Amino acid sequence: MDPSLTEVLQFDEHQLRTRLAFFRIGEEELDRLAAMRPLMEEATAQIVSLFYEHLLSQPETRDFLDDPVLVDRLQAKQTAYFLQLFEGRVDLAYVENRFRVGAAHERLGVPPRWYIGAFDRYLGLVRERLIGRGVAGAELVADLAAVERIMHFDAALAIDAYVAGHLATHARNQAALRELASPVIRVHDRVLLLPLVGTIDSFRAQQVMESALLGVSEEQARVLILDIAGVAVVDTQVADHLLKTTAALRLLGAKTILTGISPQVARTIVELGVDLKTLHTRNKLSDGLELALSLVGREITDKERGS
Amino acid sequence: MTPTIPILRVRGHLLVSVQGELGDDVVEQFQNDVLSAIERDRGRDGGLLVDISGLEVVDTYVARVLADTAAMARLMGRHTVVCGMRPEVAATLVQMGYMLDGVETALDVDDGLDRLGLPR
Amino acid sequence: MTVLVSERLTIAVEGDVPVVRRRARELAQAAHFDAFASAAITTAASELSRNALVHGGGGYAVVEHVSDGLREGLRLVFVDEGPGILDIDRALRGGYSTGRSLGLGLSGSRRLVDEFHVETSLGKGTRVEVVKWARFRR
Repeated sequence: MDPSLTEVLQFDEHQLRTRLAFFRIGEEELDRLAAMRPLMEEATAQIVSLFYEHLLSQPETRDFLDDPVLVDRLQAKQTAYFLQLFEGRVDLAYVENRFRVGAAHERLGVPPRWYIGAFDRYLGLVRERLIGRGVAGAELVADLAAVERIMHFDAALAIDAYVAGHLATHARNQAALRELASPVIRVHDRVLLLPLVGTIDSFRAQQVMESALLGVSEEQARVLILDIAGVAVVDTQVADHLLKTTAALRLLGAKTILTGISPQVARTIVELGVDLKTLHTRNKLSDGLELALSLVGREITDKERGS
Repeated sequence: MTPTIPILRVRGHLLVSVQGELGDDVVEQFQNDVLSAIERDRGRDGGLLVDISGLEVVDTYVARVLADTAAMARLMGRHTVVCGMRPEVAATLVQMGYMLDGVETALDVDDGLDRLGLPR
Repeated sequence: MTVLVSERLTIAVEGDVPVVRRRARELAQAAHFDAFASAAITTAASELSRNALVHGGGGYAVVEHVSDGLREGLRLVFVDEGPGILDIDRALRGGYSTGRSLGLGLSGSRRLVDEFHVETSLGKGTRVEVVKWARFRR
């Protein structure tokens, strides 16, 4: 079973109290909501149906609700959701329910702006009911405030669930990108190749270092060729990162060969004042490969012609 | 109780295998033990191999003692190689700006013994 | 930030440094740190507790497993009542070198963590607070 969202988002009793206080929902507001329940039970069917009428009249949301079976199911859920507002009780189970609603909308790809827009429609419908009830003055104002607060409290929870859902998606994408971003390829016994393409920021530079180190350690490699021909910009910061990777690999006992060095990169490295004696570099990847093989005691030779 | 660090002779070389944790109290003992082992070994001229694959954490203090010990052993005429550093340890030291310049390194004990070659 | 575990450890003798280090390592595991992040925070714990002992004449560390609702992390605080750091900028650049360290303790630790705060007051002592977050799993 999935862990509860209140657990995942670490929403506990303390958080609940803080949040309720922030939205100024206290005993009085909850009592008022509970007192409205009979009226709202009577009105639910109509309010939910007017609510969907609104959603179906708007081009944005209409296209989303093109399946009548789906609309029926959603209406049933909506009824339960709506009546829960007037329970007069907000506990962790309530919060969990609201998180789940938010997460379900996020998964369906419903953007938060529809959520907020639809909420406003809801609020309008409830307001009409309360005004039509015939109670006026301070009582009406206090009842309206209680409804607005609980609904905004709900919307905040839904947004929390949205943000958490987005962050989880982002994390999955990052993980996928990480694997693509620094592929360590075994090109020969104890020789690895790490071709870098694109932009290197400090986050990615860290990944490159870690992938290189793990690759060398797992493969017991002696040499790693770091090909930077595909790196868009090599400024002093990127060069510094690459040299740190070289230094870290040396600590493991492996040599690094830098290949694909353009004139601009050569200039940057010299300007950094790097001790070139410790650095193996080649202009072309093929030359780097030859050097790597010679470091592990192998060489590439021409096949004897004509035999 | 002072934990002792075993120093073995392998193929004519001295092999020191550091296991677990090199606490502040043990690290100087380590240096003394290695230097006296070299002293007792006088007359031979094998190299010194320090295997640190058992070290999960190497801070700058421990790294400095390792580097100093290697330098002292070299001064005493021993070809010295440090081997087996873990990937996360290497990354951490480099991030801190500590590159252990001047210390010869190897992947593991096999690789280290290869580098030391046959004793002269 | 929610504090899930919080412990105060005394730093008075050499043997206390490994205790802080070990506890940091255990909490890093509990907070799902990967091997690289765990080595980084454990090493920082070692550097900073040694600083508190050697330069600050001892003090205490607070090691905490924390969460900001989305990520888990470690917060470490080191407090001593030593002489304070005379030239904090220089110390942060890694300029000081003393008998027991390379002067990389403070500057090096800063590069290993996500958040780093130091307060120092001459004659009164030094307080260093660091936070490192678990990365999404590799």
